[in-house]
Amino acid sequence: MQSVVLLVSALLLAPLYSAMILKVKAFFGGKKGPPLLINYYTLIKLFKKGSVYSTSTTLIFKLGPLVSLCTAVMILLFLPIAGHPPLISFNGDIILVIYLMALARFFTIAAALDTASPFEGMGAAREAFFPIICEAALFMMLILFYILTGELNLAAYFAGAQPLGLWQSAGAPLLFVVLALFIVMLTENARVPVDDPATHLELTMIHEVMVLDHSGPDFAFIELGAFYKLFFYATLVARLLCPWTFDVPLLDLIFFFGVLCLVYMAIGVTESVMARYRMDKVPQFVLTSFALVFFATVITLEFIK
Amino acid sequence: MQPFFLSLLIISCGGILPLFLWRRPLLMRGAGATLIAAGSLLGLVDAARQLYAPVAVTATVDLLNTVPITFTSDSLSAFFLVAIFAVSGLTAVYSFHYMDKSDHAVRTAVHYLFFSLLIAAMALVVTADDMIAFLLCWEIMSLSSFFLVVYSYEKEQNRRAAFLYAVFSQVGAMFILAAFGVMYACTESFAFAGASGMPAAIKLLVFILAMVGFGSKAGLFPLHIWLPQAHPAAPSHISALMSGVMIKTGIYGIIRLYAILEWHAPVLGQIVLAAGLVSGVMGVIYALGQKDLKKVLAFSSVENVGIILIGMGVGMIGVSAGKPIMAVLGFAGGLLHVLNHALFKSLLFMGAGMVLHRTGTGVIDHLGGLIKRMPITGTTFLIGALAIPGLPPFNGFVSEFLIYIGAFNGIALGKTNFVLSLLAIVGMALIGGLALAAFTRVFGIVFQGEPRSPSAQAIEQGPTMLLPMIVAAAACVVIGVFPTAFLTMAIQAVEPLQLGYGRIPLTPFIQITATITRAAVVLFAVFLILLALRKLLYSGKTVTRSGTWGCGFTQPSARMQYTGSSYAASILAFFKPLVPIEEDHPPVIGRFPVKTHYQSRTRDIAEHQMDRLIVKPVLFLFDKLRWLQHGDIHLYIGYILLAIVVALFFV
Repeated sequence: MQSVVLLVSALLLAPLYSAMILKVKAFFGGKKGPPLLINYYTLIKLFKKGSVYSTSTTLIFKLGPLVSLCTAVMILLFLPIAGHPPLISFNGDIILVIYLMALARFFTIAAALDTASPFEGMGAAREAFFPIICEAALFMMLILFYILTGELNLAAYFAGAQPLGLWQSAGAPLLFVVLALFIVMLTENARVPVDDPATHLELTMIHEVMVLDHSGPDFAFIELGAFYKLFFYATLVARLLCPWTFDVPLLDLIFFFGVLCLVYMAIGVTESVMARYRMDKVPQFVLTSFALVFFATVITLEFIK
Repeated sequence: MQPFFLSLLIISCGGILPLFLWRRPLLMRGAGATLIAAGSLLGLVDAARQLYAPVAVTATVDLLNTVPITFTSDSLSAFFLVAIFAVSGLTAVYSFHYMDKSDHAVRTAVHYLFFSLLIAAMALVVTADDMIAFLLCWEIMSLSSFFLVVYSYEKEQNRRAAFLYAVFSQVGAMFILAAFGVMYACTESFAFAGASGMPAAIKLLVFILAMVGFGSKAGLFPLHIWLPQAHPAAPSHISALMSGVMIKTGIYGIIRLYAILEWHAPVLGQIVLAAGLVSGVMGVIYALGQKDLKKVLAFSSVENVGIILIGMGVGMIGVSAGKPIMAVLGFAGGLLHVLNHALFKSLLFMGAGMVLHRTGTGVIDHLGGLIKRMPITGTTFLIGALAIPGLPPFNGFVSEFLIYIGAFNGIALGKTNFVLSLLAIVGMALIGGLALAAFTRVFGIVFQGEPRSPSAQAIEQGPTMLLPMIVAAAACVVIGVFPTAFLTMAIQAVEPLQLGYGRIPLTPFIQITATITRAAVVLFAVFLILLALRKLLYSGKTVTRSGTWGCGFTQPSARMQYTGSSYAASILAFFKPLVPIEEDHPPVIGRFPVKTHYQSRTRDIAEHQMDRLIVKPVLFLFDKLRWLQHGDIHLYIGYILLAIVVALFFV
């Protein structure tokens, strides 16, 4: 029951958290920034609209937003929010989660290529490239967690006092993992320094250029899917960063959502103080995450023996 | 084994009958396709039935009244038979309309003969129970597939491809013969049964020799060179059959030999896993760099053979480390991937065949927007493209999931096995991501967007070509959503491997597939809810159509679309040392530059190195030995005498 309530609140709160990034960026720019509820206003506005479809597109173009939102909701079902056990959990669920995100990627790319636009093709080529390295890093992370816990599901790493257990058995190398997960989060969610969601030149975009032709409720679905995906990663980072639990349900909840807030702010700060990397430097940046986890694994192995 | 031989008889009739009917092409194709399909269906039902009631059945045939050859069908054979007959049936139906353009009636009739021979030979290879039977059927299989590859022999390119294939299959057969020869020298019997008593060093030698031989048939990197040449040359349903199941006989050879040797040393698993990793990663990188639709699919077969071997390797390591769960997961995952790959690869080749048949070109960058005029081909191809990178809820995910879980079990093992398991997991993640890039590229450029050339305006035709694609696509979804029955089949097939586990309990493994089913059902439920929500949101809204937003540019043309080459460029650049790219691009110079062009080509590093290290030295050596061949008949007779004398005295 609690898990259901938490899932619903996650579904509702995710856009709010994303707005926090905008607020932080506005603060660094010396501006007032949009209201915190901006994403809800945008979603409502989009829901009210109709759509214009390109004459080049087919049914796949309409499937893209649906599948990406569908998989984003799916991965939240596997996510232990605020340390509570998730709705669905089984041995190997994390592999399914990673592959579900790949499924979303397939359809986003397919929808982009459906428009016959050279710009969207360019974005699609980048979208197909960078997450490959992210996936390798995520699997490397899984290997480390498997060594530490002997389990292969999200709940065993992120629910209850489990993250604290990870820190106790791995110690400092887990810092590398947190950093690597943060890098993967930035990459997978099209944030600076990999991708700039606020840029105005289509040539330099990855994710935004792929959804140029979507409009109305379809576009709202894409936005919503993006909020959920970011929420998923931010929750993982938050749980790893602050693994403590107080055994007082309400306090735990407040603590978790507070830390989550900090994670989003950290994204905002990163976006404010960094510029986007040149496209050919991005693979090196993403590869750093893999290298970090790899080192963490090697160090941990020596620790345990 | 009566139904089995009956089905082979029907299939052979489907090959022989067209020879007499070549004057009436429609009847000829009808008879060939129907009989082969019917025979395959019978064989499929029989093999599937045998998997559910596993009893090994044996039949012995006296060859020329001197050498008795034996055929045994246990559940491992039956599992491969299921894949073979399923794909044979589908491709036979497909051939009816695919071969309709052909004005060479006799050649089509002969093609049906070799087609049926190939199917029968494959079925006999996986049931052969002694060396003679195995090698005999292996050779029939290689030869009949050679004649199928050389079908369009007018083109020089195709003759070259067929020649290359012949060289590789014969050299491969030599290695297998050498392996069997070593076995025969030790056991002094043609039967496989006694081989488990050989000393360990001999077993290793046999295994490595056989690995090279079977690897060249399976398309293992770097012995894959013939695959991307032979597939574009052969008719598409033949490519589907060869890539879908014929290369799997190589896998069968490796796994059968493992069972025969009954030698559970860690080194075998390590060899197989390492070979699988190299093949998997290299195959998919090269698949990204190809410009021809069928070459992409050929390299993707190299990749999938790699995944299958990773599974087998995980299984073998599990056996040697005494981890039954890991062993069964690895073997069952690998075997299930054999079936899965047979289904989606034949589906994709049949789709590619439709494109080739209707548009006349297989060059990716000349196509585009085909899904609008080929809705069924496009949709089924999409399902194949989703299944092949292992995305849920399609069948590729199930087998890869099992192998992943098996490999994770290996993480807890000691040094070498830990490193290999780690590499297997990260390697499969890498392969998955790259395969996704490769197949979004193929699907996106060929079927989506706008046509890049006038020939891409073709429409789909031929119900017998569409039906097998629909069946194969449906099978991909069914296995993806309800994998339990198929996993049970795969686990039955693991039992004859002599792992010493007795009857394998199904419960722990069925639990895994049950969770996959549950997750797939939830996925569909969420999808349907969102679909309903979308319908609600769009009710009463104005939906209009307009041109694609050109970012301010108002005169876009189809030529401006991203091409397959540009799509893959940045990924290939990342893997540069592994995939050398040759570019031809005269720079633009001067105030009034002349016309320029750009051409790029990926060079196969294995082909290049093999040419440099093996072909060139061999040619040099034989060039030096040319004086032996002088055309003087007296001396030739002298050679023969000398050979006989040497043989008499020394052997």
